Amino acid sequence: MAKHIMTLTVNGDAKEFAVDDTDTLLDVIRNQVGLTGTKRGCTTGSCGVCTINNDRGESILSCLSHALEWDGESITTIEGLEADGELDAIQAAFVEFGAVQCGFCTPGVIMSAKALLNKYPEPTEEQINEGMAGVLCRCTGHIKVKDAIRNDFRLRQELIKKALHDDA
Amino acid sequence: MLLPQHSYHKPESLSECLELLADLDSGRSATEERLAKVQVVAGGTDVIFNMRLGLFRPENVVSIRGLPELQLIEELNDGSIRIGAGCRLVDLADNDILVRRLPVLKQAIDAVASAHIRNIGTLGGNICLETRCWYTNNSADWRAGRDGCFKTDCEHCHVIPSSQICHAINNADTPLALIVLDASLTIQSAAGTREIRVADFYRRDGIAHMDLRPGEMLTHITIPPCDDRAEFLKFTPRRGMDFSLGAVAARCDGAGDQTSHVRLVVGSVSSAPIILDQPCRILEKRGLGDEAIETAVQSIRNEMGELTNLYARATYKKQLAKVLVRRVLVALREQG
Repeated sequence: MAKHIMTLTVNGDAKEFAVDDTDTLLDVIRNQVGLTGTKRGCTTGSCGVCTINNDRGESILSCLSHALEWDGESITTIEGLEADGELDAIQAAFVEFGAVQCGFCTPGVIMSAKALLNKYPEPTEEQINEGMAGVLCRCTGHIKVKDAIRNDFRLRQELIKKALHDDA
Repeated sequence: MLLPQHSYHKPESLSECLELLADLDSGRSATEERLAKVQVVAGGTDVIFNMRLGLFRPENVVSIRGLPELQLIEELNDGSIRIGAGCRLVDLADNDILVRRLPVLKQAIDAVASAHIRNIGTLGGNICLETRCWYTNNSADWRAGRDGCFKTDCEHCHVIPSSQICHAINNADTPLALIVLDASLTIQSAAGTREIRVADFYRRDGIAHMDLRPGEMLTHITIPPCDDRAEFLKFTPRRGMDFSLGAVAARCDGAGDQTSHVRLVVGSVSSAPIILDQPCRILEKRGLGDEAIETAVQSIRNEMGELTNLYARATYKKQLAKVLVRRVLVALREQG
């Protein structure tokens, strides 16, 4: 089958790929970019473990799009959240609040949480439930995930203060 | 589950897209629904889903997500609102004009699936949502161990064995609000343009459930101005991203108990939205008092037609429809 060349910017790196018509964005992320943090779960859009963020920081299900649909676009995967070896505040929150058990859903859950917090930095309970409804966790019962999300804003401010202090 | 083999096309304009559809979709009669040579895809949340299950096996997929002509939201001179079919549900839910002028449509849009789905799914995609059946909506491997059905080219239905047609359910939310808003659809092909009311667009047939012909695609939705009270309710097994077991949209003019014009539509219990007539006539004569509402609710028993045990028992669906109609009418009255 004919391959097409496309460009995709992943976590700030623009690259070219040769893809099939039938490849999904998830296939490219895992098999060609080689970033396996984003997981393959139900492949039908219900479980959310394939969640990445688009260039507006919104949660996108990478299993439900043709790769070619994203030609020229920019995405962020779980691997792109850390900066200079430092965890993003939401990742730090997940660690602090014990929101990870088996860890399989964690990339999708964190990217979903990140998108939620991009839109609502201090989300209400309803906004958390609404924003996270599209991703499932079989281990944690979502309790500590929500604790982590609720504490993201505070942790983020603390990390900013710490960075300013360290710079001074 | 891999996607079936197909060619992917990405036209850059609507006219290029329509020419492409005409080229690719030639030679298929309007009834050969399952032998689709071409499938348009916008957000992909329903198309890719159905391709994963092997229910859609188009030779060609035409991406319309980026078509600029399908992205507009505008207020026309007569106060109507025109929406491009390619608008993302999340953008419509946050759109000032829509939120202010068409709150019942916002209620329906907010009810669709999850934020993840709404971040890429489109209004056009929800209107053209494929019908669903607990039997057929399984992987191709699962179905390979069993007989096929009308949707998979066997002359058989596993839900009603004696049936001559497919009974797959239409679970789309936005059409219910659009019907009570008296919205219409612009459908284009290389051969021309036509308008059809959303109320006339659906057929009670799980396979040929939409009036969409070879080479055609939905491009715009036009909604006349509406000052009436309107409400949308969705009933799901769980809060979150379930498809509804039943949903209802209603609209009435007037204030308090007083009304002279009522529209009611029930969704997700059948292959098409069920537009109710009798209860509206009762309410228009007697208003929205408790007794009138009760009489109207009981009258829907004869209007539902044959309901299947698909996703819920028929008796449950009939009871659910009554409960939802009662709730939505009370909600309308309480809007003031």
